[in-house]
Order: sequence, then structure tokens, then C-alpha cells
Amino acid sequence: MRRLLAYVLLLQTLLVTVGFAAEHPLELIVTAPFLEMHSGPGRGYPVVFVVGRDETVTVLFSRTDWYKVRAARGQEGWARRADLASTLLPSGAPAPIPPYPVFASHRWEVGAGYGVYDRENLVTAYGDFSLTNSIDIEAVVEQALGTIDNRVIATIGLRHTFIPEWKWFSPTAGIGTGYQHIEDKEPPAPRQSDNQLAYVSLGARGFITRRFMWRADWRHYVVFNNLNVYEDLEEWKFGLAVFF
Amino acid sequence: MEIRLGSILLGGILAAALLSGCSWFHRGEKAQNEVVVGDTDTDPSIIEPQVNRREVKTPKIKAKDFEVGAYFGALSIQDFGVNPLYGVRLAYHVSEDVFFEGFLARSKAGTTSLEDEFPDITVVSNAGRQFTYYDLDLGYNILPGEVFIGRGRAFNSQLYVTVGVGDVKFAETDQFALNFGLGERLLITDWLALHLDVRDHIFETSLTGRTKNVDNIEATLGLTTFF
Repeated sequence: MRRLLAYVLLLQTLLVTVGFAAEHPLELIVTAPFLEMHSGPGRGYPVVFVVGRDETVTVLFSRTDWYKVRAARGQEGWARRADLASTLLPSGAPAPIPPYPVFASHRWEVGAGYGVYDRENLVTAYGDFSLTNSIDIEAVVEQALGTIDNRVIATIGLRHTFIPEWKWFSPTAGIGTGYQHIEDKEPPAPRQSDNQLAYVSLGARGFITRRFMWRADWRHYVVFNNLNVYEDLEEWKFGLAVFF
Repeated sequence: MEIRLGSILLGGILAAALLSGCSWFHRGEKAQNEVVVGDTDTDPSIIEPQVNRREVKTPKIKAKDFEVGAYFGALSIQDFGVNPLYGVRLAYHVSEDVFFEGFLARSKAGTTSLEDEFPDITVVSNAGRQFTYYDLDLGYNILPGEVFIGRGRAFNSQLYVTVGVGDVKFAETDQFALNFGLGERLLITDWLALHLDVRDHIFETSLTGRTKNVDNIEATLGLTTFF
């Protein structure tokens, strides 16, 4: 653990060094009557400085929807994303404020959640890559924690979103395969502690705000084993994710 | 036949005259275009710019939405005393209000009062006293604000609540754990933050006889950087 701590501290120093080395300031010209600079990156922080029309601000970095900017005479503050979007580059082109990813056609998704796997508590984390607007590759790592045994399940599969344009609620269905490892807690021990499995899933997803979304899934697993009787398991889960 | 031939000839002459007339009207403009180009191989009406195109690169704005850091403190393991705790954390800020956070930490349990009273009794083996957990949390900044030190210094701060699920490995078994936390993030600079956290890890165990939910409350101090 101490070694891990040392690595994290080292990583922190490296990140800071790299952060300073790669700084290329971006200059923008205010076109609105004024640009407000807040003392912090949040709606409640007071306005500490105002930059007038046709004056220049230097953009240092962003945090969520706020941009740290520096006025021509060195005053620093946080500008709201929407306010900065109306500024211009010195060339006259619009400010390069990256747009929000479009929910219906986003590429990447990372999330985590809670569920129930065959009456065991489930902690789940997943990553998702969109091949098209409606077909994704989904990779999941999850840990089921029960009273009789604990399981680690890793799966990979394809998921289809039926109506990707539906923003708040869109049904999904998927299939996939994976692997399960069982750690026994109470005897009798399972005859086989490592199994391959396959699943079908039904679910839904929806947009919450900005780059934030929810997912709910029901999965039916078939666990392949050498007992001549396939084990059938069910899983429910709910997760929150960010998309890029 | 002769009349038709004559009318065709007349038509041709008229057309030629009209076309030349048109060109006469436009000759001034044409003359302007022709001046610039020295190369006779190319179309004389196109200007060939002699300046090399300069690639204009707009600098990208660096997003610093991730926060990574380490923390240490005291963890009260129910029935096993209060013990030092070390951990690492990684957060992603989705909006000014909401963030995701993951924790990984380790502590080592002491002895129960039963073990203290009767040294022959062992509730948990020595290896099983390792208390390791991971958590996946959702956090919400409930009270953002500023704190002041003296007259001239203000630091941004956020009081936040977290809720999450995770795994606690104690007594050599993994248990599902719920966790609830309350913390304060104090931004020393824009990229360095000090954290004060109190978090409760609740899980079910029957280590001390009967099955019960145990509360394992930690109080920690941490340092994080944004990147």
C-alpha cells in the first residue's frame, strides 16, 4: 500500500510537470458587452472582475462547464462556458469551445452501478464503445458478493439500442459471453470454480444532463459447466455513466 | 437554295460581330486580370498566390476534470479498535455539482476486547486482520463556497456528500459494503486540493458471534491534484 502511495505521489508530480510544460495559451476577444469572471467554478461564486467588449482574455484551462481565464492586466477568474462560447478568436473565427458530445451518437461511455446477481449484491463497472449509433460493444467487470460465495464476472458483448434518438428513455437488447470465477464462502465448495457463460440482456438507457446518463439492465445468464445441466442465473442492475 | 445559303452566311457574320462586340465590352476587366501572371502555361485569368500558406493551429483548451490523490487517517473497525488507514482516490467531475469517485484503501485491525481479556482466543487470524476496501461512489457538492484565512486570503471549497457501493475484504472474505460519506474539499490552488472526509462502510458480518451490520467509520485527511 505504501508503495502504491509513493507511485501516486510520483504520478501527481509528473502530471503537474507535464501540465506546465504543455501550456499553449488561447486568446479570445470578448464580443458581448462584457464577460463576467467569477471567483470559482460554480454558479454561486461572486463576480470578481468584468472584461469589456473587444478586450482580450487568455483561456488557461477548463473544469466541467467553467473556464479559468486571465484578463489582459493579469486578473484571473472563472468564466461560464455559455459566455465564453460567444467570444471570437483574433482571426474572427468563433471560439474553439468543444461542443457537448451528442447523446444519440456518442462514442465512448464509462459507468458503474449496483445490482443483484442471483440474489447476491453486485458491484459493476463497464465501458462501452459505439460501432454505430445503435450498436455498441460493451465490456463489463463485476463482483457479486453473497453469503454462500463471491463471484467475479467479466463479459463482453454487443448491444443494440432500438431508438437512439429517444433521449430520455430508449430500450436496448444485447447478447454476449464471458467468464465467471467463484470464491467459496460456505461449504459445500462448488464443483467447478471457473466457468464460461453466455447472456442475453434487455435494458434501457437515458440522458440525464450534459455528459451524464443512466442505464438499467436485466440479464439472463447460462453458465456452462461439466455437470451436464446448465446453470441459469438472472441479474438486475442500475448504473450511472459519463459519455464522451 | 441560294437565298438559304445567303441567310446562313449573314447569320454567321452577325453572330461574329455580336460576339466580338461582347468581348469589346468586357475587355477592360480582362486586361486587369491578365497583368499579374507571368507564367504563360497557366490560364491567364487565375491569380497564383506567391505566399506560402501558414498553418494556423488553434490551441486546445485543457480540461482538468480528473482528480487523483492519496489520503490517510483513522478507521474504526467495529469491535476491532481504531487503526491507521492509507488510501488512494480518483475522481471525475461531471458538472459543477456531480462527480464520480473511486477509492482503494487498506488498514489493519487490532484485537477485540474478548481477545484482550482472554489471550488464548483468536477471533481473526493475523493475516485476516488486513482490512482492504474499494468503493465506487457518486458525489454531490452540496455547499460550495469560500473559506477565509485572515483578511487577504480566500480559498474555494466544497462540502460534498457521497454514496456508493463496494467491497470490503476483512477476515479473508469479501463482503458487499455500502458507504456514505461527508467531506470538505479545500482548493489550495487551482490544481491542488486538501480533503477532509468522514465515511462509513456498512457491511454484514458474523465474526463476533451473531450476524449483524457493522459500521466502520473513517476520518481521513487527503491531498489531490486536478489534471
